[in-house]
Amino acid sequence: MYDVIVVGAGCAGPAAARKAAQLGLRTLLLEKARVPGEKNVSGTCLNTAALSDADLHYLLDGPVEREIRSMRTYHVTRERTTVFHEIPASGILLLSIRRDRFDAWHTEQARRAGAEVRLATSVVDIVEEGGAIRGVVTDAGERLLSKVVIDAAGVNSIVGRRAGLIGRRTGTDMILYVTVAVRLGKKKIDERFGDTIEYYLAPGCQHKTWPWIFPKRDVVTLGAGGYMTSDLVSEGFPSVNTYMQNFLDLPVVRDRLAGGRIASWGLHCEYDEPIEQKARDGLILAGEAGGFVAPFLGEGMPEAFFTGIYAAQAAARAIEANDLSLARLEGGFDELLDANLFMKSFMYVAARNKASILSKSDEEIARMMQSVVMGGGFITNAVHTGWLAAAEEGDIEKAREARDFLELLQPYRSIGSDFEEIYAARKKR
Amino acid sequence: MKLEMKVGYYPGETGEFIRVDEEKCTGCGACARFCARGVWQKDGAVYRPRGLKLCAECGACWNACPADAVLFSEPRGGTGVRFLFG
Repeated sequence: MYDVIVVGAGCAGPAAARKAAQLGLRTLLLEKARVPGEKNVSGTCLNTAALSDADLHYLLDGPVEREIRSMRTYHVTRERTTVFHEIPASGILLLSIRRDRFDAWHTEQARRAGAEVRLATSVVDIVEEGGAIRGVVTDAGERLLSKVVIDAAGVNSIVGRRAGLIGRRTGTDMILYVTVAVRLGKKKIDERFGDTIEYYLAPGCQHKTWPWIFPKRDVVTLGAGGYMTSDLVSEGFPSVNTYMQNFLDLPVVRDRLAGGRIASWGLHCEYDEPIEQKARDGLILAGEAGGFVAPFLGEGMPEAFFTGIYAAQAAARAIEANDLSLARLEGGFDELLDANLFMKSFMYVAARNKASILSKSDEEIARMMQSVVMGGGFITNAVHTGWLAAAEEGDIEKAREARDFLELLQPYRSIGSDFEEIYAARKKR
Repeated sequence: MKLEMKVGYYPGETGEFIRVDEEKCTGCGACARFCARGVWQKDGAVYRPRGLKLCAECGACWNACPADAVLFSEPRGGTGVRFLFG
């Protein structure tokens, strides 16, 4: 009997398992891939605003591909391509990583902290007793029991599905996107991309989202796709791959990738709505399984780290109190989430942004993206949306809430040198 | 640059981790429409995951099926799709 079984060694799972082991809990981490990260697809850039939190400093020891310090936005129309290049005064905005290396490193940290790790092990069912989750069943038919199960198995997690917390989702609740890694070699990437990520707005390359290019050490990763509304695929767009092909065919992108070749392809569903209920008796959902993703913000990995850690802490408190109920687990989890400014702002922006952005034209979104640094433009949009709603409904409380939120976020709107110092000190060790 | 769906697979049998519930399938083809890998093929009145060896395990078919006819489990541990670079 384990104290905690963590399912999935992506971003949330190793964070949860490491923390649980550090708290003295007998912990098992299960992963279906042979190497953690080899079944994962994501944007692969870590937001340094989140990594400035002391809980996440240990992640700075992990394998980083490139330090990102600026952002370019390409707005492509038939007539012209407009390029915005935004360079903050100082600071690293993002750390670009490879999931197949980073998740494997992170899993090793969980193992070193004392967690038992089993790779190449799929979970195919849950063990339920008297309405509570008591463990999981593996593909080999083994029943593994624990006081608490932490579901960190991603967007379509079988644990959350079997527990009745994750249902089917399409339309504007789900994004389907394709990624492609193009090998250019370090020298070409240094020259063409350097420390800059790129976003594009161009006809035929996205379905109410935007494609991107993120540089790694010797490859750049491209992403394109869109909301799973019925018109995502149509006669002109027979597959989500069509958006990627159109992206690769943009003259500006063709130039930037000249001399490169495709090294890898990936495909991922990404949920774009919060999940109502994130726990049951004996179960907590963390990371993407718990809906802690905001595709529009390009956010998901830091939220997975935080929620993994908090799920472990909530589990430890519940085990200590000998109360594994939904109320206890969710209460402890929510309390920790609520005390984290980054998570609070993430949830606020995610809740307000989507409807507003879905109603905007590509031109309006392009203008908004000019001011996107670390989600700054999205934050501004969320505040603006709150104010508009207040004006329309004549509700002064909503306006106050939006103003309070803006004040709350001030520390996050300027990228100080703090992260740079933390990062440098960590690298020196 | 022509898009190539370059993706790796671990050795070993995955098992039938995606199946169709023939009772529920209405033959609408939503599974096939959203599948980027051509896994789903029409077979009489229903669709079947005939090309499961090509599956990238994204779950779009399961999410897209309005009739809840896609039975979506997990490939055997250490088998199935393998992505590089993440």
